Amino acid sequence: MIEFKNVCKKYPNGTLALDDVNLTINDGEFVFIVGESGAGKSTMLKTLFREEKISSGSLVVDGYDLKKIRSYKIPHYRRNLGIVFQDFRLFPNKTVFENVAFAMRAIGVPTKDINRRVPTILSIVNLQDKAKSFPNELSGGEQQRVALARALANNPSIIIADEPTGNIDPKLSLEIMNLLIKIHKHGKTVIVVTHEKNFVDYFQQRVITIKDGKVVDDKVGGMFDA
Amino acid sequence: MHNKQKTRYSLSYLVSQAFKSLFRNGMMTVASVAVLMSCLTVMGSFALLVYNINYNLEDLSLNEMVVYCDTEADDDLVEEIGRRIRLQNNVVEESVELIPKETVLEEERETYREYTDLFDMMGGDSNPYPDTYVFEYKDNNKVSSLQMELEQMEGVDKVNCRADLAKTIDSIKNGIIFIFMWFLVILFVVSVFVIINTIKLAVHSRRQEIYVMRYVGATKWFITTPFVLEGIAIGAFSSALAYGVEYLLYNLIYNTVSKYPLIKLAEFGKDYLWLIVLGGFVIVGVVTGIIGTAISLRKHLKA
Repeated sequence: MIEFKNVCKKYPNGTLALDDVNLTINDGEFVFIVGESGAGKSTMLKTLFREEKISSGSLVVDGYDLKKIRSYKIPHYRRNLGIVFQDFRLFPNKTVFENVAFAMRAIGVPTKDINRRVPTILSIVNLQDKAKSFPNELSGGEQQRVALARALANNPSIIIADEPTGNIDPKLSLEIMNLLIKIHKHGKTVIVVTHEKNFVDYFQQRVITIKDGKVVDDKVGGMFDA
Repeated sequence: MHNKQKTRYSLSYLVSQAFKSLFRNGMMTVASVAVLMSCLTVMGSFALLVYNINYNLEDLSLNEMVVYCDTEADDDLVEEIGRRIRLQNNVVEESVELIPKETVLEEERETYREYTDLFDMMGGDSNPYPDTYVFEYKDNNKVSSLQMELEQMEGVDKVNCRADLAKTIDSIKNGIIFIFMWFLVILFVVSVFVIINTIKLAVHSRRQEIYVMRYVGATKWFITTPFVLEGIAIGAFSSALAYGVEYLLYNLIYNTVSKYPLIKLAEFGKDYLWLIVLGGFVIVGVVTGIIGTAISLRKHLKA
């Protein structure tokens, strides 16, 4: 469960990026976060990644109090999150298999288990035939699926996708969104930050609208009206 | 669900990543090695220059004192003077040497051969030269008190030393070494700065990799180790190359300079000089590699 309670985030230059945010996302929910550029979506994600520390209030994710968490525990906390970036952030000199395996190696999974689990994860994102390909040999949609596979590698409870369809064409975007829905149906909490009105309206999930650092709308089955 | 399993990283994986990265970032590796090797070679040359200045000036050792006994002093008294000189704190005991008046006379006779008749008349009791003690003292600053004490000794006629000259040369020597040591320190700081910047570029080019590692939950240890190992490898490789260059350069200069009798250089193999140079290079190379990597990574590792 993710719980924002009276969360404020003020940057050293005085910008108030999050202003008294109160929000609860339960386990297994699918949530769209929408809002204009500069509304505070990125800061919200950064506080969830614990890249930024909140200025006041309380933010608790899966039992981790992100205001009080010790720095040596942050890597362990992040293993509960699978993060998908708009620009994929794959390693160009590693194969698809190695890119996914890397996330497992980074947390010390033995090679034997990596060799067993990576093909399974690649089959979830329909990339079992591309294991030996390099990212530059793949389409944008395929690259994003590799990024999704990497996010799933350590079986996190929460998937956070930051504009996952921002760099790919509409047809492939639908494929990615369907994959995220599929992952959600397997019991994961999925948070998608997006500008894609069509998808938000089409999938009829919970929509949280942010404006000037505040939550201005929060509706289940809501529409994109940022 | 929390991923609370204990993290066990494979060292062989981390080592292999470090070496793969060295080859993958070939140009950066070559640049880092070239910069570090050049810095080490310049530092090594300075250090050897300081060593050789000291080596040359040491030969000008003027810490020598001469005690002339009374010409009337008998053998027992001369022996007693020698014993008491050896007891002085500021005297290097094993350096005390007696030059008997007969030896002095013979030496003088050799020097002034044209006056053989005159020296023939000086034999036996007519020998006008005194028994003489020559020895080294330890501390230039306490030489006046030593001289005074010896002059007051029974049977001592005169005490000679070149304390002022020795002091002047000593202070020149210390001054030169002081200036060169500061040059060396400045050069070291500049080298570390240059190396840090080179490694910073290497780390910067891989910031994306570090970013992803952080977001998949890699610990600082996992992220840092391959970079540190890379730093160590670059340091070790650079120091080996710098040693080779230094060895060739030094021997070239040694062979050239040894033709001139006024200047002398310490042999590279003498007094483990080669080992000091190699050890210095490896330590400075590896330490700067590690420091450079640590400082360069710091920015990318904040939570």
